[in-house]
Amino acid sequence: MFGWMGTILRVNLTDGTIKKEPLNKNDACPYLGARGLGTKIMMDEVDPQVDPLSPENKLIFMTGPLTGTAAACPGRYEVISKAPLTGSIGASNSGGHFGPELKYAGYDGIIFEGKAEKPVYLSINNDEVSLKSAVSLWGKTVFETTDELLKATSEDARVTCIGPAGEKLVKFATVMNDKHRAAGRSGLGAVMGSKNLKAVVVRGTKSIQVANPEEFIKACWDARRKLKAHPVTGTGLGAYGTEILVNILNQSGALPTRNWQESSFEHADETSGETLAAKYLVRNKGCFGCSIGCGRVTRIPDGPFKGFGEGPEYEAGWSLGADCGVRDLAAICKANFICNELGFDPITMGSTIACAMEMYEKGILAKEELGRDLNFGDAEGIVEFTRLTGLREGFGDKMAEGSFRLASMYGHPELSMTVKKQEMPAYDGRGVQGMGLEYATSNRGGCHVRGYLTSPEILGIPQKLDPLVTTDKAMWLKIFQDLTAVVDSANICLFSTFAIGLPEISSMLRTALGWDCTDEEILKIGERIWNLEKLFNLKAGFTKADDRLPDRLLKEQVKKGPAKGKVVELDVMLTEYYALRGWDTEGIPTDEKLKELSL
Amino acid sequence: MPVVKLPAACIFVHLSVGVMFMKVMFFAYIRDYTGTKETYYQHCQTLKELLEKLSDQYGEKFRAKIFQGENLGPEIIILVNGRHVEHLAGLATKLNEYDEISIFPVVAGG
Repeated sequence: MFGWMGTILRVNLTDGTIKKEPLNKNDACPYLGARGLGTKIMMDEVDPQVDPLSPENKLIFMTGPLTGTAAACPGRYEVISKAPLTGSIGASNSGGHFGPELKYAGYDGIIFEGKAEKPVYLSINNDEVSLKSAVSLWGKTVFETTDELLKATSEDARVTCIGPAGEKLVKFATVMNDKHRAAGRSGLGAVMGSKNLKAVVVRGTKSIQVANPEEFIKACWDARRKLKAHPVTGTGLGAYGTEILVNILNQSGALPTRNWQESSFEHADETSGETLAAKYLVRNKGCFGCSIGCGRVTRIPDGPFKGFGEGPEYEAGWSLGADCGVRDLAAICKANFICNELGFDPITMGSTIACAMEMYEKGILAKEELGRDLNFGDAEGIVEFTRLTGLREGFGDKMAEGSFRLASMYGHPELSMTVKKQEMPAYDGRGVQGMGLEYATSNRGGCHVRGYLTSPEILGIPQKLDPLVTTDKAMWLKIFQDLTAVVDSANICLFSTFAIGLPEISSMLRTALGWDCTDEEILKIGERIWNLEKLFNLKAGFTKADDRLPDRLLKEQVKKGPAKGKVVELDVMLTEYYALRGWDTEGIPTDEKLKELSL
Repeated sequence: MPVVKLPAACIFVHLSVGVMFMKVMFFAYIRDYTGTKETYYQHCQTLKELLEKLSDQYGEKFRAKIFQGENLGPEIIILVNGRHVEHLAGLATKLNEYDEISIFPVVAGG
């Protein structure tokens, strides 16, 4: 078998059995791997109406045919499950080294079923696979757990695990690998915690076969050369990381500020990638086989927020920064370090604190309940409530439910800036209209990496679109969503697409897999995956009413800046989008579309 | 029109001799060429006029990023009051007093 390893591990945590099953090529071919194949397995084996934190839900780790190969940025793996935060299909990918190592051990993926009676971890050393007690690891942080498992196995092994947040079922807990890398959104770490599964440690020494090695290397070389030559992937991301976006979004009037009440932040530059590089950056860091190196190794040398770790990424820096009105970059870094250490999503964390800040300033939340003041701009507050949330202590126990459930507890769900109960990231759809449509239609709720229209609308990649108009945004979004599904399922880093596109990705896939197919046929796989995710959500109970944005984006006009007076013109874009997708006016795929996609 | 807080010296010049200013901001490695995050500039009629003057001031590396022949270079993003100049009139964009001009290299993230 080429590209794929040909074997999937099925681990039943209830009875402790482990099976090695042949990869079903009838599923792998039409869904590629990773996000696509994982969703297909979820659709076939799990009732979409299942309680995400029950033993009946499954948790899938899956790689793709390009994972661990010489392809551009091939260090990913995907975690797929029904998500606790949203109740939708959850698929979240992560870089680092875990995904390639899993393939080198001989496996395309792992399906976890049931629930262990006591905490366990899965140990994989090539063909030797066993469940071991994790009782002594329960309660330990991500960093402690990783260090102990590496010490117990091999320094060359790779670890993915949960921290206390996953154990305590924080609704937005992450699955953390290589200490600092996160399958970060939608709360898949809580699914892992609900199964009493603390970690997976893997060591592998096998190799991946490709169908046409000579042509594959040519295709990879072509892609890597383009990455190196592009100003973003060759220079900018390595020098400044993703936080480089703070200033351009702010100047464009699309940096949501103080829980999206404003669209620009007067202290943005103090929280920017430029400032991070100047004050706290130790070095940049890449994932397996990466030539970009966007990762930030950062150190706060002294003061109340002293610490060492990685990040923040742009969206984390925004949520804990501008969205909370916080200008202290050291505090933002510290809160982000805590999220990595305890294992939960800083995007939802910061947005939930921002929501609580607005509730406090409007008199909905009392000081007595919070235990302190919590105004916008409170640097100590974001650090304190981040720690409390990761441990579910004090008021953090309520924040651990995410902003939608928190605001709903007090009768004000309109103050939660979420779609499908997941917090929208750092791009104000009123100033970037296509991103408004992207959030509304994302199959995993508010999310920026399902169809990143910021790229053409703000950054001009691959071509410049006017962010303030709705024209053609539905068409562009469909292409971006389908292509992103291909990228996530082939399982390379989405950032590669700033420099390469469908032709280069298709070329790598064809030569790796030995396929004779067109670029369009590969893009069609992406469309199939998108529609399958949609079908899962429909069966889970989602409707057109869930393809909606918070009223703040639909009714409250931007107060100043280039987008002054704008709201998201969602209805016009959504109608066009459904039609382009071949869905009916309620957003349900038609029989013709399903037949066309063999669904 | 955005309110620009001018340094005291600029306000003094403005009040005393009627000179008008624009705010120009630099980002990412463009700051390496200019040695400053921002500057206040005497009013120019068009974006091209401003960029020519800035290039004269900051030298060839800056000019090479800004211009490709007679056009804007492919690795530069320029906003006037937050609007990308591609949606205005490009180099021919008319400038007004107190305009804010932001100059970025091509950046991305996410």
